[in-house]
Amino acid sequence: MRVLVVDPDPARAALVVEGLAGVQPLEVRQAPVFDEHEAASFGPDVVVVAADSPDRDTLESLQDASVVNPRPVVMFVDRSEPGLAEAAVRAGVAAYIVDGLAPARVRDILEVAMSRFHLMHQLRQDLEKAKADLASRKTVERAKALLMKERGLEEEQAYKLLRKLSMDTGRPLGAVAADLLAFAGVLKGDAG
Amino acid sequence: MSGAAGLTLGFVPLNDAAPLVVAKERGFFAAEGLQVRLSREVSWATVRDKVATGALDGAHMLAPIPLACTVGAGGDAQPMIAPMALNRSGAAFTLSRRLTVYMAPDEPRREALVRMIAERRAQGEPQFVFAVVFSYSMHNYLLRYWLAEGGIDPDHDVRIVVAPPSRMASRLAAGELDGFCAGEPWNAVSEDEGLGEVAMRASDVWRDGPEKVLGVTAAWARREPAALQALLRALLKAGAWADDPRNHAELADMLARPEYVDAAVSSIRRSLPTTNFHRDGANAPLPAQAAWLLSQMMRWGQAPRELDLRGVAEYVYRPDLYNQAVAELGWAAAPVLDTVDGFADGTVFRLDEARAYAASFALGRLARS
Repeated sequence: MRVLVVDPDPARAALVVEGLAGVQPLEVRQAPVFDEHEAASFGPDVVVVAADSPDRDTLESLQDASVVNPRPVVMFVDRSEPGLAEAAVRAGVAAYIVDGLAPARVRDILEVAMSRFHLMHQLRQDLEKAKADLASRKTVERAKALLMKERGLEEEQAYKLLRKLSMDTGRPLGAVAADLLAFAGVLKGDAG
Repeated sequence: MSGAAGLTLGFVPLNDAAPLVVAKERGFFAAEGLQVRLSREVSWATVRDKVATGALDGAHMLAPIPLACTVGAGGDAQPMIAPMALNRSGAAFTLSRRLTVYMAPDEPRREALVRMIAERRAQGEPQFVFAVVFSYSMHNYLLRYWLAEGGIDPDHDVRIVVAPPSRMASRLAAGELDGFCAGEPWNAVSEDEGLGEVAMRASDVWRDGPEKVLGVTAAWARREPAALQALLRALLKAGAWADDPRNHAELADMLARPEYVDAAVSSIRRSLPTTNFHRDGANAPLPAQAAWLLSQMMRWGQAPRELDLRGVAEYVYRPDLYNQAVAELGWAAAPVLDTVDGFADGTVFRLDEARAYAASFALGRLARS
């Protein structure tokens, strides 16, 4: 497990190392401030940061769905921040740890945060894929309607024709349908 | 004002935290019967989370944060409202000296950037890196708007990263950043330390555009209506005081203290006039301006395109609560506007056409897909 602890105080990293004793292989790196290049070259499985660190906004911006390699972030809050711990977990990309870092709980917390993060990441990707599938289905419907209108085909025949085109060209049905619609647009443009 | 006489409000060390600092130091909170503790915060994510969870009753917030929270952009949805604006303008874009030494003194900065970006690309050098303070900030939208207007694609031609305002100067000095867009005094500090030069001010893009607001949760506002009104009156009076140039010397001394901004008095003092804390109804929370912010969130892929912009804008930005407070003070009510102007490029933003507006830009995520 590779852990990046962003904290000016090396004691925090020492706590993490203590809590992860027995985990193999293990590499814990401590950095006083978050540096993107350093983090990218290290490639941590999880980042640990204090909730009151100025680096939080930077880390949060790296959680955007658009970022290539988002990392789970674990934040710890001290008792001196009542209320904040009530947030417990936010958006599945970060877990708040109550009561600072206790070595006995470090391993569980990091593992839960990582699995939660990967679950959320998977869900987000599934959602994107579902959206893309839906868009492709709509495109196929429109291409089918076009064929029915222009070639006087029944719905079943139009679909078979699209599927044949897809198999002949070895391209996905949605892509073939999109091409057909695009060409129809060009042809109409030419005619007009 | 049942249990709310003691309030905790958050702020981030910036000139425009002035209304909170002044209300505390000059007794405007006390005059309204409020005992307020100010909590200095170093990140906007922490401010947002603390307000959302009730660790703070309210806070100095970037104008888009209550909107982002309400629609659940960047986290769980948490209904927040902005019952008043704390200021307008004040943000600026500073370019590193490392770049400006290659620009003629009279060369318009954006054109110079276009030229240098092309040169870098031709030579296979890495892209320029510009920082903003938070993904959901006027700074991000301003910088993107300004770059895109000059034909620079903020997602492809440069890299935009997030960094804390107080660290911008040191990262500029270290060569990790080529420029940054942040609130004052951090642009003035960088200039005064000889590290950079202001290339664009918020007012160059949008005269009197929104900047910071008072943000509270919708639940808190419902639970504590009297405390909220007292808070608004105190902050409005403090804003009027902070806006008066005769008070700027005293204000700069106050802000410079370690418990507030903790920066050079001279840099704070000279950057105060770029911010409007009061004039021309600067404190009115205008839904039309909120809708413009949402349109930019949509433009850059931060908000879903099916979002009801007017609905969200009117839920979050609350001129009714503001009007109640100014009526007590005998000040003018917020204007009811369905359009926003003041853009340097002459465009007029219409609330009813917000979505079409978001898609109308040549550069943006909506245009490309």
